[in-house]
Amino acid sequence: MAGDYLELQLGDFLDRLSADGLAPGGGSAAALTVAFSARLVAMVARSTLAWEEAAGVAAQANAIGERAVELADTDGRVWEDALTALRDAEAGADDDPRRDFALEQKLEAAAAAPLEIASLGADAAALAALAGEHGDATYRADAAAAAALAAGGASAAAHLVRVNLGVRSADPRLARALASEQAAHDVAARLLESHR
Amino acid sequence: MSQAGRTDAELVRRCRGNDADAWNELVERYSRYVYAIAVRGFRLSEEDAEDVFQDVFTRVYTRLDSLRDDTALRPWIAQLTRRRCLDALSARRDVPADEELTKEGSSDLSDVEEAFEVREALAGLSEACQDILDRFFTRDQSYKTIADELEIPSGTIASRIARCLGRLRGELEGRNQDDEGSRD
Repeated sequence: MAGDYLELQLGDFLDRLSADGLAPGGGSAAALTVAFSARLVAMVARSTLAWEEAAGVAAQANAIGERAVELADTDGRVWEDALTALRDAEAGADDDPRRDFALEQKLEAAAAAPLEIASLGADAAALAALAGEHGDATYRADAAAAAALAAGGASAAAHLVRVNLGVRSADPRLARALASEQAAHDVAARLLESHR
Repeated sequence: MSQAGRTDAELVRRCRGNDADAWNELVERYSRYVYAIAVRGFRLSEEDAEDVFQDVFTRVYTRLDSLRDDTALRPWIAQLTRRRCLDALSARRDVPADEELTKEGSSDLSDVEEAFEVREALAGLSEACQDILDRFFTRDQSYKTIADELEIPSGTIASRIARCLGRLRGELEGRNQDDEGSRD
């Protein structure tokens, strides 16, 4: 059952993730990956004393982290709703326009959460880029790790947008998700390359 | 000068001169604050909070001359509100009002104070800073959305927000120093 992830210990959440059932699933995991990324950026910023914007970057990173954790919860809930509706549709009569409309609405809602997660991934990566540039040298590898996590979360989320929207490639939401994914990956590639 | 830019001390001086617009402005500036303390800090019902609201502003109106430091309007209103809330709790229940204030309630009260201080400090920033902080922290807009709507490069948004937060911190620290000075 989805919900209340914020109340769980990390180990309990991981147990739920690996259990059979609907949620949490890929969207929630992607959201938490972005949250890890954002909190890592906050750590780098807080650990860098000689950076005037450090406190402001840490505050933004923490805000992004909080939103991502909330989305982990939201995604589990809307995906569970959508999957239940999908199974009902499969079990019902072939032609029911009202049911099909309701199902489409739920799938669209299920796409909205990962779209936000992908966007947060891009923002976390943008902050990781700043941390990689201005952060204390001791912590720059953490900034690169944060960018890699942000890119992973954004990629996973963009994939879920694509799936939930039913592969309508012209949908502007998919284009936004893919743009977020690309932005996060560009940062991650740059920061990881700088550490090779 | 805009309403947001007028200091409390100026507002108090104008109220003492029986300026009706100033009284309206004072109520408008502090109505949400009083209400938030009553509802979030003391968990009063809407009905009780409304009574507190009326009573506090009546007292402010009749006792403004007793305010010794014109810059201390907000702490004075907060004190009036807290006392009136405790009265309301005592009247409603047969238990000592002080014991009704749980740690959680005290924390909420502190949040209300902090939120109000931040709101006041925000008014001291440029409109551009107020706008970008509002977009990111209140409306949860992404850097891309902010960049598109404000027509500024996406890569500069996080730094702009960080600089505005630095200015906000400066405003808040200045206010806290003023508060400490006014208590001397």
